[in-house]
Amino acid sequence: MRRRGDLRFGFSLVFWREVSWLRRRPLLLMMTTIIPLAVMALLATVFSAGLATRLPIGVIDLDGSELSRSLVRTVDATPETSVTEHLTDLAQGRQMILSGRIHGLLLLPQNLQRDVLSGRQPEVVFFYNAQTLTTGNLVLRGINAAIPTVSAGIRLSLRTAQGSPTVQATASLQPIPVQVNPLFNPSLSYTFFLLATLLPTVLQIVVTTTSAYSVGLDVETPYRLRILRRLGGGLWPAMAGKVLPYTILFLLVLGLADAVLFGVLGLPLSGSRLLLIVAAILFILACQMIGGLLALLLRPMASAVSIATLITAPAFGFMGIGFPRFGMNLFSYWWGALMPGTWFLTARIDQTLRGTPPDLSLQPVLILGIFVLVPGLLAALRLEALRRRAAETPPQPTSAPQEAT
Amino acid sequence: MRAVLLVFRNELHRVLTLRPAFAVLVIAAALYALLYPQPYLSESLRKSPIAVVDQDHSTTSRDLIRRLDATPDVAVLSVDPDLPAAQRRVFARDASGILVIPEGFERELLRGNSSPVALYADASYFLIYQRVALGVVSVVRTLGAEVEVRRLIGLGVDAPRATAAANPMPLTTIALFNPQEGYASYVLPAAFVLILQQTLLIGVGLLGTMPGAASVWRRPDGRSFAGPLATVSGKLLAYLMLEAVIVPFYLVVLPYLYGIPRLGSVGAMLLFAVPFIMATGALGLVIAALFRSPLAVQLTMAAIGMPFFFLSGFSWPVEAMPKTAQWLAQLVPSSAAIDGFVRLGQLGAVLSDVRGQVSVLCSLALAYTLAAVLLEARSRSRLAETEFNRV
Repeated sequence: MRRRGDLRFGFSLVFWREVSWLRRRPLLLMMTTIIPLAVMALLATVFSAGLATRLPIGVIDLDGSELSRSLVRTVDATPETSVTEHLTDLAQGRQMILSGRIHGLLLLPQNLQRDVLSGRQPEVVFFYNAQTLTTGNLVLRGINAAIPTVSAGIRLSLRTAQGSPTVQATASLQPIPVQVNPLFNPSLSYTFFLLATLLPTVLQIVVTTTSAYSVGLDVETPYRLRILRRLGGGLWPAMAGKVLPYTILFLLVLGLADAVLFGVLGLPLSGSRLLLIVAAILFILACQMIGGLLALLLRPMASAVSIATLITAPAFGFMGIGFPRFGMNLFSYWWGALMPGTWFLTARIDQTLRGTPPDLSLQPVLILGIFVLVPGLLAALRLEALRRRAAETPPQPTSAPQEAT
Repeated sequence: MRAVLLVFRNELHRVLTLRPAFAVLVIAAALYALLYPQPYLSESLRKSPIAVVDQDHSTTSRDLIRRLDATPDVAVLSVDPDLPAAQRRVFARDASGILVIPEGFERELLRGNSSPVALYADASYFLIYQRVALGVVSVVRTLGAEVEVRRLIGLGVDAPRATAAANPMPLTTIALFNPQEGYASYVLPAAFVLILQQTLLIGVGLLGTMPGAASVWRRPDGRSFAGPLATVSGKLLAYLMLEAVIVPFYLVVLPYLYGIPRLGSVGAMLLFAVPFIMATGALGLVIAALFRSPLAVQLTMAAIGMPFFFLSGFSWPVEAMPKTAQWLAQLVPSSAAIDGFVRLGQLGAVLSDVRGQVSVLCSLALAYTLAAVLLEARSRSRLAETEFNRV
């Protein structure tokens, strides 16, 4: 009975020591709260529009006809694009693309209207800056929507002019129309797609490096490590007491960021909340364990922090949000599989945007569990080894009255 | 001038001998050069798997499926009997989209009616959505145009006129600068600039906060041989010297090794790099003076590195950012630098096209240098005070 009481006592002793450390060390507090929240606020501001609309493009209208003017109007009225520059030659247009004033250039050739009506199929050309992939694709999407609309009107009038009834002409315009339905993100919002995944990515970096730091503070001197263990009254309560304050803090940070994401920015929350929360807890714990393990294996602590940074800072690319994992080379595929964030984002996208049946999300959650267990066990083994090594060295005189061996 | 050179020599010596600084400035830069590009090396996403629900089972529907499978963009993973089966594949991420060919597809086409198909494409990953939508729509459009031409010919229109009537005003789209729309060619030129900035910021931050930072401007007996301005200038010169090796490697050799096309001149890029390195180096000195502990530098810089990429207006258009974000972005050298380097290197712009970015970087370099000099002077008077009190 007494022993169990001691264990609980030990855990809370370590827990509250850690909390008081947080109060006394401004760096630790800053890293666990202010910095991740500030970064998330910044990113939320950047993507707050969700959709990029009215991106500037230029037009060279060499025809000046009714048709060409209606083309320009339609392009300008498309949500993605806005005609800001009316130019006269290609060199000028190139210049404007190079300096970034426009993202694309629409060239309407001379005699466009005449050639269209006489069936000579004149070409309309759109140049766009494909180096900035997102912007390039957005203006392209605008043009791809606008030009066929005008084109369809012409085709319809060509047919009715030939004497076919309007209804039949409309049907024959597009024999096989495709209804394209974007699944899970119907408005193609970047907030839902990118911002929602950037926040956990930032957290992965912060949790892993900060854990390496906070555990490093104890590991740096064997003396502190012994104190920690003695305070905790054993390996497990000491570890739990050390880890838990940060888990709670980071979960609060994630919760706050998500409150903004789901509450204010309107990200859909379709799926199992329980799975989402379990995944979040396991994700934070996994990052903590990996950071802590690095601190136990590498010294000085600065090296542990460096390696933690080296692993987590470029992780975003490997987690397959921008460029999907199934398209990567073998190394990247497996390196990505070793990031807890990969599995957390999978489960998170499943249980927020996609509303995946829960049984299909069990796999990523279980993998997250392994990411907690394996580094956790390795850390415990390492701590045991450190203790044994310390026990073999001649004992130093310590003044620890409560010690009861 | 002699003082500047002395500081320059001492700081360069520290860069090469202080292990943590060398690790960040040189070793980490080399490791990132190897690691960072890996996910993107296959350049483009090919053969995204899609599921087809064929409720028609006709010759035309099978022809459509065959054509889809033959495109580079998509691969037909499965032909499922019903929508729920296909949906489950999408939920499990085995398939990236579902094409539904409804019953009566062929019959309606033969009757001369409009015969729609429906595509459900996974939009929780934008690149996948784009490839799937693009691939499927273009195949279906081609098939549709063929049907239309056949119908018009059936109505007695001669073949060339029928083709013209089906597509009276063809649209040609030309992707400039990155014609294959390769992902590595898109992301890497910008990412390399950010890696350069982050390694330099952390490196300079460590140099300024680690023990012995004062040894670059004073003798062991405590007498200083360089004032704050000379110290800051000497240090910046040392970083410029170091980056004169690293920048060409990152912005010229690496892109070449990874097969990323470069249109611009190397000379313009190197010239543009000067204000960028000065601004970043000076910002590093400011950070060192404010943080005062190597760990604080490491931890905070690790956390705020990645967001800088999204501030630069490279992956998310500046036009869509709120004014506050645009303004904040300008305070970080990488924003103007990524924009400028990409225009010079990938777009083939000349220096006069990026004068806006040059002037932003020059202003930042000036402002941060000034701040660094003031902070250096302040820290010296504090140092003198504590040393005086100790005596």
